[in-house]
Amino acid sequence: MSCWHFSLRRKLLPYIEGEIHEKDLKRLERHLLDCGLCRDLLLRLRAGHQMAQKLAHQVPGGDYPPEIEAMMAAAGEGTPRPRMRVQAWHDWVERFATPGVLGVLTAVLVAQLALLVASNRDVLFGQKSAATIKTSDLDLNDFHVLDIADLKLNTEPHIATEGYVTDVHTDKEEGTVAFKLVESQSAPGPFVVCEIMSPIKMAAPRDGSYVRVYGVSRYDAQTDRKWYEVNPVLDIAVLKH
Amino acid sequence: MIQRPELANNKCAVDREQERHLVFAVQRGDPEAFRELYDAYRERIYNLVTYSIGDPLQTQDVLQTIFLKVFRGLRGFRFQSSLSTWIYRIAHNECQNYHRAWRAPHVPLEAILGSHHEIDTRPVSHEQHARQERDVILQQALMQLPFKMREVVVLKYVEGLSYDEIGRVLGCAPGTVASRLNRALTELEERLRPFKRLL
Repeated sequence: MSCWHFSLRRKLLPYIEGEIHEKDLKRLERHLLDCGLCRDLLLRLRAGHQMAQKLAHQVPGGDYPPEIEAMMAAAGEGTPRPRMRVQAWHDWVERFATPGVLGVLTAVLVAQLALLVASNRDVLFGQKSAATIKTSDLDLNDFHVLDIADLKLNTEPHIATEGYVTDVHTDKEEGTVAFKLVESQSAPGPFVVCEIMSPIKMAAPRDGSYVRVYGVSRYDAQTDRKWYEVNPVLDIAVLKH
Repeated sequence: MIQRPELANNKCAVDREQERHLVFAVQRGDPEAFRELYDAYRERIYNLVTYSIGDPLQTQDVLQTIFLKVFRGLRGFRFQSSLSTWIYRIAHNECQNYHRAWRAPHVPLEAILGSHHEIDTRPVSHEQHARQERDVILQQALMQLPFKMREVVVLKYVEGLSYDEIGRVLGCAPGTVASRLNRALTELEERLRPFKRLL
């Protein structure tokens, strides 16, 4: 003999826990009056439930496993470098850091600095704004650089792509800024929608400027959208105002 | 080391918004953010893996693999599911892979608890002794259940997940979770019936 009320049998545990819906409660209690098998199952489940509630919680040891430590350290330093190289660098400095060599190096550095200041004086003395909107601790070399038209072939999560900024839209309620990036100002496509969102604080690029956007690549499959996105945007470099 | 379930609720939990910030920070390459996420989830995942695998050495290896996968995967994580579901799902897949690859019988949990007793040489009260004995009986009974049933019991009773959440982690409907729980609990009851007075 068996009971075929499978759906009601599934409600027995919620019934024991007092989390059953009212409409199911009446049905179940009516069924329990008639069905000895389900009454037996109820008793066994109640006992099993009480025992399972006493299962102990295992607590792991306090140390981080070495591989996890190494991985976190590598993430903090960008590309992990072998320690031997650091040692070799120190040895090299100790051997060649004579006053003469240091003097020549200092002179070269000063000359380079002067050249750098001369070539960027517009930016440095405020006649133009700085080219990069946000300098973050991202390693921008990790991003896969590709054209907007090639986004559909991309499988990398982190990408960098360039284009002209159009349709900048700020949503104050959501705290997001979205804009379109197009390859050519004369054609509407191909394009990618870029979204700057909380908690990443970043100024929106100017409409018409040519920028390189770094961020996470995704595809928005909603019926009214169906487009590629860089969401969230992690950094923006303005290449042309 | 074993802790009572009521104390286990004091987990290093982070709320959704905090979690979102941490994920973005990990995506920007911040190791401290990953450390925080690791601390928040280590204990929860450790429980699932310990009860799924049983062997303490293998548990550490599997746990490490899970978090390495989490760390690599977080760079492309787009919040299409909740972070906890995603991490539990990775853990579930890794435990399943372990069972597929090894197909070995479980190591009795006595092996784990035995080493614990050997290290902790302090005298124990009668009550503590009874509790330890009860833990061993319960855990041994649970470890005798098939992997799929064991997993559903741990997710429900040790991790406190709802039927819907368990369904999302295991990739099945809440109804299937309920049926599996019914089978698991009745089997557990059958195995523990002779020890009922001790429990």
